[in-house]
Amino acid sequence: MVVVMKERATEVQIDAVIARLIELGMDVHRSSGATRTVLGVVGAHKVDSQLIGILDGVHEVLRISEPYKRASRSFKPEDTIVTLDDVRIGGDEVIVMAGPCSAETEEQVMASAAAVKRAGAKILRGGAFKPRSSPYSFQGLGELGLQMLRRAADAHNLKLISEVMDISQIELIGKYSDIFQVGARNMQNFTLLRELGHVRKPVLLKRGIAATIEEWLLSAEYILAGGNNDVILCERGIRTFETATRNTFDISAIPVVKKLSHLPIVADPSHGAGRRDMVAQLARAAVAAGADGLIIEVHNDPDRALSDGAQSMFPAQFDRLMAELRIIAPAIGRSICLEPVARRGWAR
Amino acid sequence: MAEVLSIEELRSRIDVIDEQLVRLLNVRVACAVEVGRLKHEAALPIYQPEREAEVLNRVRQSATDLSGPLTAEAVVRIFERVIDEARRAERIASEQRDRLNSGMGE
Repeated sequence: MVVVMKERATEVQIDAVIARLIELGMDVHRSSGATRTVLGVVGAHKVDSQLIGILDGVHEVLRISEPYKRASRSFKPEDTIVTLDDVRIGGDEVIVMAGPCSAETEEQVMASAAAVKRAGAKILRGGAFKPRSSPYSFQGLGELGLQMLRRAADAHNLKLISEVMDISQIELIGKYSDIFQVGARNMQNFTLLRELGHVRKPVLLKRGIAATIEEWLLSAEYILAGGNNDVILCERGIRTFETATRNTFDISAIPVVKKLSHLPIVADPSHGAGRRDMVAQLARAAVAAGADGLIIEVHNDPDRALSDGAQSMFPAQFDRLMAELRIIAPAIGRSICLEPVARRGWAR
Repeated sequence: MAEVLSIEELRSRIDVIDEQLVRLLNVRVACAVEVGRLKHEAALPIYQPEREAEVLNRVRQSATDLSGPLTAEAVVRIFERVIDEARRAERIASEQRDRLNSGMGE
């Protein structure tokens, strides 16, 4: 990092900053200019820039390298591909995860799984524990819901992703789900993240509603630091001053993350828009922007869904979207759903 | 009239000077490392800004007296680098000492 001293910083102040940096084990390169002094700081480990920024006489501290290491592309230049048998997230193929917001009934889960499989999804999404904004809203079916989701996934040769909200749920959800999803609300639940660093299953980490990309990558770092290398990032929209949509889907996060990190990134256009009639547009844009996958809410009967019905797609809408994505993906050198699954006549 | 040297002659002269500079700089840093060791034994702080300021003042004065093509400011800038590297060498030497000591203690 580079420490820029104030124009009128005294020699005593400069010496104090150098002394502190040396104490921290860093090497200091001092350059005294005509009006101000600049200190170049190099060393084997990271120094909290804020710690230096508050010292007397310091004008500003500029960081040159990212505060996260394992998540950084400079640490690992080649893309990470998260592999679940024949499903590879982060490779050439755009992987689509779809399904209902939450498991409600056996029929609903089965019908939704059949619909998303037919359209070309590779992973079934669905929640059993629903953290809702209101404590009086439907809270999910728990283990019963997980069993339904697992049965539906197996019946349609899909992988399963389900949300984990608390360390106490890791073991139970891990019994049924192939991927742990960490929701936006939990992006900075560091206790949970640290624990997920010790599991040997992929983790899909959603971006917090008010999190910067750097904070998001630092959260990923928690999981990676624990030894779990299979982290998938998920952009799902952030809070801005705009009220037309529930969140503002940050499309630029996709190329930014691709540049800063080797981790795969998928997009969640359902939460990004919060409205069914805008999910397809955002999904198309996300794929065009280079997303490695999508996670989309599809319900066999969205108007009767117990949660997130307004943003869940009808199966027919999802079919159409997948057909459009099959045209968009090749334009940027990607593929989507290699095998032709649109064998409607064969579907039971 | 001074003899006119060719580019090749000037460059070979620079090469010789560089060799001497590297030798001298190494001797200088070796002294600093030894000072560091003595400071450690006397339990004095490694970083002594007064001493660094004294060194810079001295070279500034020398440069001013010489009034050569290098200004006093330029000489100070060069010596800031020299001091940076001496400090670094002191740090590495002291870390090695610590490792050695902790290794023997166990």
